[in-house]
Order: sequence, then structure tokens, then C-alpha cells
Amino acid sequence: MTEEADARSAPIAARVHLAHAVVQKLAEDRGIDLLHLKGPAVLPGLRAEGRQSSDVDVLVRPGHLHRLAGALESVGWEQRTHFATGSVFAHAANWWHDDWGWVDVHVSWPGVTIDAERAFDVFARGRVHHSIAHRDCLVPDRTAQRLILVLHSARSGGTGDTDLAWTRAEPGERDDVRALARELGAEVALAAGIGELERHRNDPTYALWHYFLHGGSRMDEWRARLAAAPTARAKVALLTSALRVNRDHLRMELGRPPTRQEVRERQVLRLRRAGRELSARVRRS
Amino acid sequence: MTRYQIAPDVAWVSQEDLDGGDAPTAYLTRLPGGPPILLEGSGCVVWLALAEGGTMEEITAAAAEMSESTVEAISDDVAELVDQLVAIRVVEEH
Repeated sequence: MTEEADARSAPIAARVHLAHAVVQKLAEDRGIDLLHLKGPAVLPGLRAEGRQSSDVDVLVRPGHLHRLAGALESVGWEQRTHFATGSVFAHAANWWHDDWGWVDVHVSWPGVTIDAERAFDVFARGRVHHSIAHRDCLVPDRTAQRLILVLHSARSGGTGDTDLAWTRAEPGERDDVRALARELGAEVALAAGIGELERHRNDPTYALWHYFLHGGSRMDEWRARLAAAPTARAKVALLTSALRVNRDHLRMELGRPPTRQEVRERQVLRLRRAGRELSARVRRS
Repeated sequence: MTRYQIAPDVAWVSQEDLDGGDAPTAYLTRLPGGPPILLEGSGCVVWLALAEGGTMEEITAAAAEMSESTVEAISDDVAELVDQLVAIRVVEEH
């Protein structure tokens, strides 16, 4: 009568829904504060029907990160990227599970500049229950979700779908999003997501958001990141890492841990590429 | 009278939930560490009948209605499937 099969052949959307539920259960069992973001966590009316996610995104209270990491690993997730290498903002790390796929664990959200622990409290302030895979999952309220979607779109080069989250939002709803962005120190990122970035030309992070929206060379990216780094220590850390090979990404590219030789070869490639970009810049000027 | 219901530690989603598709398929797992389980066809129909909980007669009647079949025609299969689902602990009996 029934046909039970290996659900690894299940569509990604099904795996993502179930994975959200798994993470929620882990959080409940271990007292971990987290919020589900994007994908099936988006409240009705904020994204177009039929859009599907390929991974699970959660925002965890930074102080609970170690607990979440332990919980994920207890049921078979393996950490594949680390916070320092996961993204420009060092805000997320990725875990992989053979059945459930990717979980992107965020301790902050790109564009938010206030302390991450305080930012979590702000995002969680109006949290609501939202059913995913017939389980109650905690998600940010509608205003916070609008802001999160717009910031994500800005970070993704303006390619995200913000039609429902911003373009078609009522004036009062937009005011609420702007107020929340101010509270989170995310005005520039919000501006980048809604076509108002030029109002912030003098902001240290302007170049970075301009790069995300319009692209540029690796040199442009690093210059923008350097300008946006808030402290001297952060700038030094950036410079140090600028030419270091990202072992996590190399591992994902190869599908296995890289050997020392492969890391060395990639290091040479990076240096050559940086040299070529610099030469081209000198010739242009 | 024994009643059956989906176990409280189970998460599940149907193809209809995902994309409105009408192919009867359900994906489920026991939380947090269970394997993924796929129920297709009549297996999914029985699962959906179980979602409301009930006695074997009620579940069989609901499944018959969803599959446009008769209780007599499917009762043995439904009972066998429910037993299997109880055995793997995704359904509870009280």
C-alpha cells in the first residue's frame, strides 16, 4: 500500500522545511534563542508565491552559538565554513547534513552595525510563531522581516525580490522599516536596498554597498571593505586576510579538504591575480 | 477504542503544502535526529487522514473519501500501513 523510499531524493523544498523543524527542535531542547529567516520562514504576503529556498537560514543569539553548534553536530551536521571565511561580513557559517542539506547560521545580519547581541534582542522583540513542516518556529515580526529581505537583496546586488517586502508596502509600513533600520544602525544598507544609496556618499560603508550593487574588481572590493572596517584593528585584520587563501571555500570547490600543496598553489594564483589587477590599475591611471 | 494520531515529535510537509501540487506525497521525520521518510500515493493519503487523528474506522473512512474509494476496498491496507507507522514511531496509539 505504501511506498516508503529514500527521502534523500525528496525535493530540496521539502528538505528545507523539515530542516527548519529539526533546528527548531534542537533549539527548544537546549534553550537556544534563535529566529528562522527567509525561505519558508517568511510570513505570508512578504514574498512571491512559489519562491523556494535551497538552504536554511537562522539567526542565533551570539552567546548561544556554541550551544547551537554542538546541537547541530549532535545530529549529523558538519561545519563547512567558519565565520571569518563565510562572507565579507564574517556574520555566518555553514553546516552541511547529508539528509537535510545546508544550514546557514548567522550571528548578525549584513548591514546591521550595532552590537550583535543587542541586534538579536531587537529582531527577537516582536517574534511570532510561524508553522513550518507543521511545527511552530519562531520568526521575526513583519517589519523585521521586511528589513531583513531588503538588506539581503542589497547584499546580493539588488537581485532579491523586494517587491512585496518594500515596493508594495504601505507608507506606514515603510516608516516602521526605516525606524527599525535606524535602531539597528542599518540605514545605509537599507538605502542600498531601496535605491537611495547616493544619499550616503560620505558614509564609510558607501563604497562597500556600491560594490555589492554594481560590482567591481577584487581590488575594489578590498578597498571598500577597508574603508568600511570600523577600527584600526579591523583594518589590520582585513589586510592580513586579504591575500590568504580561503580554505573553506577551496574545500567546497574541491569537494574534499585541500592538501597543503593545493593551498600553496592557490596562494600563488591569488597573488598573481592581485598583481595583475594592480598593474591594470596603474596602467589606467 | 484505540485512537491514532501523528506523534508529537514529528515534522512533516506535503507536496501540496510546497507547491500546491496534487500528487499525494508527504515527507516526514522524527525530531530531532530521525531519518527522512517519504510517503507516496496511498501512503500519503493515509497520512493525511491521520493528521486529524481518530480511530481506525475514522481514519479508514477519511482515507476512502480522499481516494474516492470504499472503506471495504482499503481497510486492510490502511490497517497495515498504520501498524507500520506505529512501529516506526511516527504515529501514536492511545
